[in-house]
Amino acid sequence: MIEIFDPKALDPNKDYGTPPSLSETLVTLDIDGVSVTVPEGTSVLRAAALADINIPKLCASDNLESFGSCRICAVEIAGRRGFPASCTTPVEAGMQVNTQTEKVAKLRRNIMELYISDHPLDCLTCPSNGDCELQDMAGAVGLREVRYGFDGDNHLDAAKDESNPYFTFDPSKCIVCSRCVRACEEVQGTFALTVDGRGFESTIAAGQDESFLESDCVSCGACVQACPTSTLMEKSVIDAGQPEHSVVTTCAYCGVGCSFKAEMKGDQVIRMVPYKGGDANMGHSCVKGRFAFGYATHKDRITDPMIRDSIDQPWRAVSWDEAIGFAAGRFKSIQAEHGRESLGGITSSRCTNEETYLVQKLIRAGFGNNNTDTCARVCHSPTGYGLKVTLGESAGTQTFESVLQSDVIMVVGANPTDAHPVFGSLLRKRLRQGAKLIVADPRQIDLLKTPHLSEAIHLPLRPGTNVALINALAHVIVTEGLEDRAFIAERCSDNSYDQWRAFIQHETNSPEKMAEVTGVPASSVREAARLFANAGNGSIYYGLGVTEHSQGSTMVMGIANLALATGNIGREGVGVNPLRGQNNVQGSCDMGSFPHDLPGYQHISDDAARGRFEAEWGVKLDNEPGLRIPNMFDAAIAGHFKGMYVQGEDIAQSDPNLHHVEAALKSLDCLVVQDIFLNETARFAHVLLPGSTFLEKDGTFTNAERRINRVRKVMAPLGGKQDWEVTMMLSNALGYPMDYSHPSEIMDEIARLTPTFTGVSYDKLEELGSIQWPCNELYPEGTPTMHVTDFPIGKGEFAVTEYLATEERASRRFPLLLTTGRILSQYNVGAQTRRTDNQMWHDEDVLELHPSDAETRGIQDGDWLGISSRVGQTVLRAVLSERMQPGVVYTTFHHPDSGANVITTDNSDWATNCPEYKVTAVQVEKVSQPSEWQQNFVSFRDQQNALLEKGRRREGI
Amino acid sequence: MQTELEHLIQMANQIVANNSFQKDIEQTAATTANHLQKFWARSMKKQIIDYAAQDGSDLSPAAKLAVQQLAS
Ligand code: SF4
Ligand code: SF4
Ligand code: SF4
Ligand code: FES
Repeated sequence: MIEIFDPKALDPNKDYGTPPSLSETLVTLDIDGVSVTVPEGTSVLRAAALADINIPKLCASDNLESFGSCRICAVEIAGRRGFPASCTTPVEAGMQVNTQTEKVAKLRRNIMELYISDHPLDCLTCPSNGDCELQDMAGAVGLREVRYGFDGDNHLDAAKDESNPYFTFDPSKCIVCSRCVRACEEVQGTFALTVDGRGFESTIAAGQDESFLESDCVSCGACVQACPTSTLMEKSVIDAGQPEHSVVTTCAYCGVGCSFKAEMKGDQVIRMVPYKGGDANMGHSCVKGRFAFGYATHKDRITDPMIRDSIDQPWRAVSWDEAIGFAAGRFKSIQAEHGRESLGGITSSRCTNEETYLVQKLIRAGFGNNNTDTCARVCHSPTGYGLKVTLGESAGTQTFESVLQSDVIMVVGANPTDAHPVFGSLLRKRLRQGAKLIVADPRQIDLLKTPHLSEAIHLPLRPGTNVALINALAHVIVTEGLEDRAFIAERCSDNSYDQWRAFIQHETNSPEKMAEVTGVPASSVREAARLFANAGNGSIYYGLGVTEHSQGSTMVMGIANLALATGNIGREGVGVNPLRGQNNVQGSCDMGSFPHDLPGYQHISDDAARGRFEAEWGVKLDNEPGLRIPNMFDAAIAGHFKGMYVQGEDIAQSDPNLHHVEAALKSLDCLVVQDIFLNETARFAHVLLPGSTFLEKDGTFTNAERRINRVRKVMAPLGGKQDWEVTMMLSNALGYPMDYSHPSEIMDEIARLTPTFTGVSYDKLEELGSIQWPCNELYPEGTPTMHVTDFPIGKGEFAVTEYLATEERASRRFPLLLTTGRILSQYNVGAQTRRTDNQMWHDEDVLELHPSDAETRGIQDGDWLGISSRVGQTVLRAVLSERMQPGVVYTTFHHPDSGANVITTDNSDWATNCPEYKVTAVQVEKVSQPSEWQQNFVSFRDQQNALLEKGRRREGI
Repeated sequence: MQTELEHLIQMANQIVANNSFQKDIEQTAATTANHLQKFWARSMKKQIIDYAAQDGSDLSPAAKLAVQQLAS
């Protein structure tokens, strides 16, 4: 007798046929004489699979609701007539199921015969050969002959659709099981596919008879993964054949941190398949992670260390030792001449935790100063600051799955369907189940358009007025008595609440008063506030539209205030959730990349904490914070900051006010860039060290839910070294010894020094799959939901969040407000995605503007527009769009030659210096040629590429 | 383009502006000084202290007071 309890602890590589039931009531039944106990609501098919009785199936899959169309899963059940489909039949207590009778076997063979009679028998040459469920099932049911012949009506010559760059649709092989259609709806939430026609005539179509590329399809690949035949198939598999082994690893694109099986042939990645055992994504992915990995082997990869004396000289390819020696020599002489503080470095949010940790260690212990920073400076540094002040920890409070228990979801300044697509899909699933949605965003984001059950409230505020809006929401909650008194009394500091309450009640914060500032009607604000306050579970998700403002930190605190006031902290379904941009931006912050914070957010002036690092590292550390990125640039231009070590960041594209950045980089005596490509920053460098991609290294990434995931090496580094090895060499050359033989040793050191990582090790990660920090003696397996009983600072702190208008205002000269964002297919500065077929969706950045703003300027769709701000000018093509509000224009920053950051200013958040990317006052006008910056950019790029080519040619590479 | 010092002055004034709601100048200066102490690098502190000592006219009164507290 076998007793089995669903769910969890399952084999992530097995398809159990239907989704798990979450019921806590257990039901016992008998299947083929085996007693099986499962939660009520489980299908017979799944119950059998759990007992390793594998009933044939075609239209069922355990990530889709069962559909019952193929009937091949038929079984006999004692006391019931006919042959019920086991995938749609729920278990009942005492049920007696027989899965293998003579009658059932005959029925299954007949069904299979019908399928096969309309299916090409080219198995030997089919790309699915060896990985085809139809083939497997034909074998399982014992099909031996097909009586109908192939000359009848069939679909065998239906035309292929090869429009999508990554997969092919070959309808001749389709068995119309509709798994693809359901995957697109239920897993992805895009509804791009339909079943056209009925019965034999039925076919699968993308959109209204469009090609896949023209349709609404976002190329997430869920349908390809769901397809049991080779109808929907990765082109890489068609080209290279079936993979032979696989390695579980973590996507290196966004902060969702999806787990993938890298399916390999030797050291060649054939395809990436989202891993069902990954707790962040549970088997789903987006177009970037699944398909856009070709950059890793792109011909532009830098594979040899290179050096040059000045940036107008050609590069010289040299040995690792020579390059490291050159860099170390220059760094030493800079410090000898200009002092200890004249060097600094930037850690990478794309590299692993171990690599980031090592770079900041090199800076603090090797350079002997705290001039370390990371790209989080320009995205989520206000999150770190704001959440630390109010909740006591610089991170989001929930798991992603928590959203499935939210009743009202507020999305502020985030665009999850594009920037965090897999989380976006989860969110949309919850909306289809009936949760309500509030969106605060200047634009009509796609989330508002997707099918969901109830109405969504859109609060289309003017850029730069977040704090005014969040205060107005809180004002309504407090003045209408909607706050959660019990939670406040028990969990929050009285003093801070009293002060905040007095402040927020003030008439100036009312929605009616604030409407003048935000442009949002008071009635919508009141409606949204009531909805949120009265929700059983209210959750808040936010992105860079919150942080990248002059009051970014204030806004983060405003969001925390709202969650505290409504008691939405400390359980599933609620919380404050920053959607973090890059794959490891959470990790890079955790690992002590900020100049004032040692790993684990321990302040550098804290003698006890610093003392522990000094003891472990064997050096005295400076107790004063170091320079942040913008401060480094200022100091470089002023002449007292002379050398930088930049690992895996492209500050010359991603940072604001590029004129200023370029001036700063040009004034450095030694810029060492470690990257996989000659990025924009590397064009200003003296030493270029080949970086390695996530496929070429071991390590860990930490995603937006604080989840530490393993990254596993599947191929050798093209440049011969993993990034942590390079940092180690540089450190040794500078005279600060480092000696690790594997990243796991670095993690052990991190765990010793960082209270929130206590006990984290590669062995433990192997065992648990992933760990959400804080991990400590009390919670040895990590902490999925934070602040359940108390806060790290004891009580929650309300913060007074007065709204102050930004200095960046629309004026007569610059009457429009420019805001920036990203799109699905491209990633950040685009260095990776631009080198893949993702280009097909977005090959240039454009300027979106409202038709009324276009009309007054005589602008038509597709015109070239000059966009000028008080710091610079660039040229982009116009796209007219009703998604914009009049007075607001929008662009992305994925392509370096667009120069979006030539126009953004160096205004920044008051607390953290996070740049105000989201608000720039601009004017636009029709022009006929690229801006002066763009022309210079192109000639500088051509010149630098030529210098690189020269270096490569000379070495015969 | 702003010089390093101009930028520092702007930042100090901005911190003051964001921390002055219903506080008197003493309280605002104390909060600001604490922020500068925790987040500014040594070289930044030194420059603003020197500036406040020699001139300081572009610093708001609370910012000037904060910098003086930082110096002591
Ligand atoms: S394309 Fe594949 S998944 Fe879709 S109906 Fe056809 S066989 Fe099924
Ligand atoms: S790739 Fe994704 S979006 Fe496109 S049709 Fe398939 S499931 Fe739908
Ligand atoms: S980019 Fe983000 S959502 Fe897409 S696969 Fe990678 S981690 Fe997942
Ligand atoms: S698998 Fe049950 S009907 Fe298709």
